Amino acid sequence: MIHFQNVTKDYDNQTAIRDISFSVDKGEMIFLTGPSGSGKSTLMKLIYLAEKPDNGNITIAGWETSHLKESTIPSVRRNIGIVFQDFRLLENRTAFENVALALRIRGIGDKETKTRVYDALKTVNLRHKSDSYPKTLSGGEQQRVVIARAIVSEPSILLADEPTGNLDPDTAAGVARIFKDIHAKGTTILIATHNRELYRNTGKRVLRLDSGNLVGEELG
Amino acid sequence: MIAPYALRLAVQSLLREKWINLLSVMTIAAGLFIISVSFFVLYNIDIATKNLPEKFAMTVYLDNSLHKDKLGPLIDSFRKKKAVLSVRYISRDEAMKELKSSLKNSDYILEGLEENPLPESLEIKLKKDEVEAETAQQLASEALKIKGVTEVDYGEKFLSTLQSIKKGFKSAGLAFAAILSTGMIFVCYSTVKILFYRRTEEIETFKLLGATKGFIRTPFLIEGAVIGTCGGLLSLAGCFLLYYTFLLRLSITMPIFKTILFPADLFLPLPIIGMVLGITGAVIALGRLRY
Repeated sequence: MIHFQNVTKDYDNQTAIRDISFSVDKGEMIFLTGPSGSGKSTLMKLIYLAEKPDNGNITIAGWETSHLKESTIPSVRRNIGIVFQDFRLLENRTAFENVALALRIRGIGDKETKTRVYDALKTVNLRHKSDSYPKTLSGGEQQRVVIARAIVSEPSILLADEPTGNLDPDTAAGVARIFKDIHAKGTTILIATHNRELYRNTGKRVLRLDSGNLVGEELG
Repeated sequence: MIAPYALRLAVQSLLREKWINLLSVMTIAAGLFIISVSFFVLYNIDIATKNLPEKFAMTVYLDNSLHKDKLGPLIDSFRKKKAVLSVRYISRDEAMKELKSSLKNSDYILEGLEENPLPESLEIKLKKDEVEAETAQQLASEALKIKGVTEVDYGEKFLSTLQSIKKGFKSAGLAFAAILSTGMIFVCYSTVKILFYRRTEEIETFKLLGATKGFIRTPFLIEGAVIGTCGGLLSLAGCFLLYYTFLLRLSITMPIFKTILFPADLFLPLPIIGMVLGITGAVIALGRLRY
């Protein structure tokens, strides 16, 4: 589902990702870990096409991204649900509207949107907060709205960049359970995290990054 | 399904940023109003100058020795010309009579003349559409080649002045309209650009969630169209207001204003012109989006 082959990415002559190769199978759930600045977020950005590699090949859900036409980028992104580290919630829209956005972009009608958004909010236990604006929600609630937005379109790949970064241990555990449930439905998940608790005893692959290099792989 | 949502986004943005949008609407309305008033003035000048050619006539002076038998065929040869509307023969006596009547009380200057010095002539009127310096000049040079024609007076100054007035007003009007239209496109451009910058983060999120360029652009284009159309409607209302509440009332006390014509039909496309300007500004402001 995700395939990196000798991928390198530089920012102003500073290497963010160096010659990285790895694969993620369909339906697999893997973790990316490493200290701040190790290249986790860059790797995520390369997957959702916010960045282009300087070298190497990336294949996402069958699309070879280096030979991708610009007009195809939205189609690739529609296969990916993203839980952004900085949430990227629209402040002037309610939780419902924020989640619905992922479906509006796909041209899905109001009736279906309503059902699916409420289902997604229910999955993250926020059905009762659908009319709330992001500012009135706690950090954990905002994080869950972002997850609902990422899963509402039922993407084949789910990326989560530090999904528990701002959360207390209990809320983080709740978020971990949500990912587990989503994975159980067959979604390929890649989670970048510092939080060991998130992958400990999961039995899932953990890729370790350091200074842009892939330095190890273990089972959680 | 995307179109109704784009419309909703546009309406939300128009209401959220109501002050900046209102300012743009007012600016466009003012610009279109100024163009309309200029057009209104030009239109009336054009109508007034259209009647001037009716007063234009060429005078072909004939040799006194021209035989009367040749006069008929000469008149006919002028009448056959495409540009000629009418030909009137003016005898020497008639010419003197006209001169006297035009001199009115000053006809004493003709006293002492033993003989009528005026020549016979033909007064040639041209068809309204043919009253142009080139046509008159060509006709004059053709007439001068005819035996018996001594001189042709075709009022070069009158024609060239008329033409330069028309050309001058048209060019000035077009230049004025072009400058103001560019200004209005710039207003729409700036408005949409500001709205676009204000929503940069939102647009970035749209892109990352898989939105197409069309999905991102459509609300802005709708906003540009709405701002332009509202500006056009407001300027249209301004034009009608100016005519019906000001000029029409003024014509009661000052009859000269009664001659002013108000081409209502020609002002009706103002909202469409505004819409086109608004969309053009928005298209330029959005430029080339990148994913």
